[in-house]
Amino acid sequence: MANLTADASDVPKSRTEQGSSGRPDAADPAGQGDRDVVFSVRHLWKVFGPGADRIPDDTSVAGLSAQELRERTGCTAAVRDVSFDVHKGEVFVVMGLSGSGKSTLVRCLTRLIEPTSGGLEMDGEDVRAMDRGTLRELRRRRASMVFQHFGLLPHRTVLDNVGYGLEIQGMGRAERRERATEMVAKVGLAGLERRRPGQLSGGQQQRVGLARALAVDPEVLLFDEPFSALDPLIRRDMQEEVVRLHREEGRTMVFITHDLAEALRVGDRIALMRDGKIVQLGTPEEIVGSPADDYVRDFVRDVPREQVLTVRRAMRPATDGEAGEGPALSPDTLICDAIEAVARSGGAARVMDGARCLGIVDHACLLNVVARIDRPHRGEVAA
Amino acid sequence: MSTAAPPTTPGPLTAADGGPLRTALRHRGLGKLLLLAVAAAVLVPLVRATWPGATWPTGLTVDLSGPLGRTSDWIIDNRDSHPLFVYVLGHLSNAVVLSVRAVYLLLLALGWTGVTAGVTLLAWRVAGLRIAATALVSFAVSGLLGMWVPTMQTLALMVVAVLASVVVGALLGLAAGLSDRVFRLLRPVLDTMQVLPAFAYLLPVVLVFGIGVPAALLATVVYAAPPMARLTALGLRGADPGVLEAVSSLGATGRQRLLTARLPLARKELLLGVNQTIMMALSMVVIASMIGAAGLGDRVYQALASVDVGAALAAAIPIVLLAIVMDRTTAAAGARLGSPADTTGPKALRGPLAWAGIAVLTAVLAVAGRLAGSPVWPAGWTVAIARPVNDVKEWMVDHLYSGVPVVGGTADWAAHFTDWVLNPLRDGLTALPWYGALLIVAALAWLIGTWRTALTAVLAMAAIGVLGVWKPAMNTLSQVLAALAVTLVIGFAVGIAAAGSRRLEAVLRPVLDVMQTMPQFVYLIPVVALFAVGRAPAAAAAVVYALPAVIRITTQGLRQVDPGAVESARSLGATRRQLLRQVQLPLARPALLLAVNQGVVLVLAVVIIGGLVGGGALGYDVVTGLATGDLALGLVAGVAIVCLGLMLDRVTQPTARRTAKGA
Repeated sequence: MANLTADASDVPKSRTEQGSSGRPDAADPAGQGDRDVVFSVRHLWKVFGPGADRIPDDTSVAGLSAQELRERTGCTAAVRDVSFDVHKGEVFVVMGLSGSGKSTLVRCLTRLIEPTSGGLEMDGEDVRAMDRGTLRELRRRRASMVFQHFGLLPHRTVLDNVGYGLEIQGMGRAERRERATEMVAKVGLAGLERRRPGQLSGGQQQRVGLARALAVDPEVLLFDEPFSALDPLIRRDMQEEVVRLHREEGRTMVFITHDLAEALRVGDRIALMRDGKIVQLGTPEEIVGSPADDYVRDFVRDVPREQVLTVRRAMRPATDGEAGEGPALSPDTLICDAIEAVARSGGAARVMDGARCLGIVDHACLLNVVARIDRPHRGEVAA
Repeated sequence: MSTAAPPTTPGPLTAADGGPLRTALRHRGLGKLLLLAVAAAVLVPLVRATWPGATWPTGLTVDLSGPLGRTSDWIIDNRDSHPLFVYVLGHLSNAVVLSVRAVYLLLLALGWTGVTAGVTLLAWRVAGLRIAATALVSFAVSGLLGMWVPTMQTLALMVVAVLASVVVGALLGLAAGLSDRVFRLLRPVLDTMQVLPAFAYLLPVVLVFGIGVPAALLATVVYAAPPMARLTALGLRGADPGVLEAVSSLGATGRQRLLTARLPLARKELLLGVNQTIMMALSMVVIASMIGAAGLGDRVYQALASVDVGAALAAAIPIVLLAIVMDRTTAAAGARLGSPADTTGPKALRGPLAWAGIAVLTAVLAVAGRLAGSPVWPAGWTVAIARPVNDVKEWMVDHLYSGVPVVGGTADWAAHFTDWVLNPLRDGLTALPWYGALLIVAALAWLIGTWRTALTAVLAMAAIGVLGVWKPAMNTLSQVLAALAVTLVIGFAVGIAAAGSRRLEAVLRPVLDVMQTMPQFVYLIPVVALFAVGRAPAAAAAVVYALPAVIRITTQGLRQVDPGAVESARSLGATRRQLLRQVQLPLARPALLLAVNQGVVLVLAVVIIGGLVGGGALGYDVVTGLATGDLALGLVAGVAIVCLGLMLDRVTQPTARRTAKGA
């Protein structure tokens, strides 16, 4: 608890996230600072093993690598000193390889796994201080989760599975069924209400899981590697489904995945985890365009950059006369779209922010990005 | 040798590999043996100096007959006056008598039409048309054989016993499923109870309740509740953790979790538990005829006492039919859980109204039967099979027992088996110095299991000596070992053949199914018909009883051998023989060990019951104890049986069994 109060001093009360957590990579990207914070996580630890409570405060072992820690103390630190904010309406992706602690992290958010130490707030309420009843209410109405292996009840029909969360809340049968029917239709399973999970394909089962989570109309949806167990084509469908749902409802989502392509496709911001720590936090463009270290660089090496980066990163300052002609592109245009525009027009294109010309992209600029040739001052033009 | 090993299943493969691990294991085994040898070299001369002679020294025995006799006398004297009996056990016993009586009267009131119709409709509803037809035929046959009333008596006892066992078992299982501590406490007890022969349960309840229905019912409940408790606990613990986590993530309370997730997820195990409980209860209700349970078992018991094979068969057939109907109905109900919807039964029997419909239909038929005639099966519609069966048996005695050219007669075989196998084995075991026997037990148990199992085995064996029943125990042991050897030879041979041929397996399956459903008691009848009475027929019954399980486990073990290993051995050009010897058998080793373990447990159960047909030894002591009211004799024999069972189980218990059963 001492740890918690100590944290409170350096946790910013305002909605914006600053560098006060001491992590430059946790800094808020521009333009998000004015949005409400849903989850605020500060110096969160989860340590498994004997005497786990002592590890986070023990400066002699807290900094050790995972293997050294295990050898010295017999403990495994699944989440170590993690801080971030999840803003209202965003899709916050936590990405990492298996064993990086991401699934433990998401379970800590609703205390399905009890965190060892650190601060955890939802809408400004201290989640770690909640009693069982309050916590249950939080799980019932405010945050619901979609699981990798679906977690459906095999003896219930699709409809009853979707209505299960409402049943737990104590909602009456008729109302529950009506809501569930609505949700089943929403995820595209209309007509399959009477089936049982065993009779559905993996993709359909996960749609049921999604509908179950949506049925309680939660403030936040938590996804724990929801599509990892699905075939690639179905996975793609489901990712689009999530993007569509997010576009329609604007619900806050925390999305765990080990698949970089998935993270880039659905995420507004991505936190990349390794050995329990967040190694970089930023927009897909920041992660791909400016990897924080070699690990991240290695990770994003195979990403088709033209599909993630925008012209902001490729443009050069306009020289005389160029600011007046050529096709106009917004600064958020993806490189691949800019390539098309440039190829069609045959000449350079202007990057326009309203009436102001920010810069110019031509064949050479765009090809440099695709070929991963870094130019000096590439990012600073916009700043 | 098995270069065929792919890395998918490292456990059994490394064990079967000729690599360094195997040699290390060997060395560890050698080490254990060496340690034992050293201990023996020190202890044996000491022991010999103190207690010369091969049989268990009298100085080390404790005579329990005095105290036990006094306890028994005290209980008899105080049964009507002591508060414990008047206020606790008396009420319990009254409740049992009343409820059995009530169910029996209800069954009689329903009449044969009502009962038959009710059971048939019920089977139809939960298990489908075929099993309903089986039920119909079974009850008709019981009536035809003139066994209607005993069948109803057995059924009444079964209904109460099964209900009580299921409730007790489920409650215990619930506690063990929800609490780790209870589970750790209960599990070894349940595991051990599962290996004890039914006979061991009879004496203690008789000591407390005297001979009668309460004793019979309580023995049944004690015998039949453990599988329910075990499976309930395992079912609750085996629930998919992912589902439970999802349920928690939705904010379910502990109660909601239990009622909406854990219990429904364990339905399969629960129904399997009910199924096993019913089969165990039937087996025990029949045996409990020796301590006052009326019904079919009593008829078999009486008939066996006078070696009246015909009458025994007439009572045994309804038992077997009852067993088949009960087993198939509950098993089908369990299997149907996996399928999507209620697809069995006629339309009228589906939905929530079905149960009401069944009740109404049964009542209507019961009234109709009442109006048409007597509530019990009409006397004119019976077929007396006892006489013809006895005639056949007489013919067999005259023509098959001895003097058949070339092959010899069945009685000759039995005599030869007794003279050439059982007698030398018994004499050898009796002549073996007792410390030698202890050492052998220790070595075997330690080699196969852990030092803990070895210690339990040795202590159990020593307890037999302390109780002063070393000689009869060695006699029983000789029968068990002989029967086990025969069982394993035949069982492995048939199992290997069945694993190799789909057709043979398809032929065997229904036979094994029926054999595994039959209560132990029933096996005594055909062997008495074939081999008269004695130790050889008891061993033969044991072999027949244990065979199905051994064959099953062997076949399954061989079938489950990693197909990748088999395929790659084939691709290397292994012949069938090589494949079997070098790949399949080594990889199926855990299954084969389990088969030996199960074989021992099952053989012991029937060898003990063989005391009824001249098997002698410990089983006979129990029978005599019951028959003559000498409870001390019977109780000591009962405890010795428990010890023998414990010892045999631990000696054959592979370390892997725990994980295999926990899965």
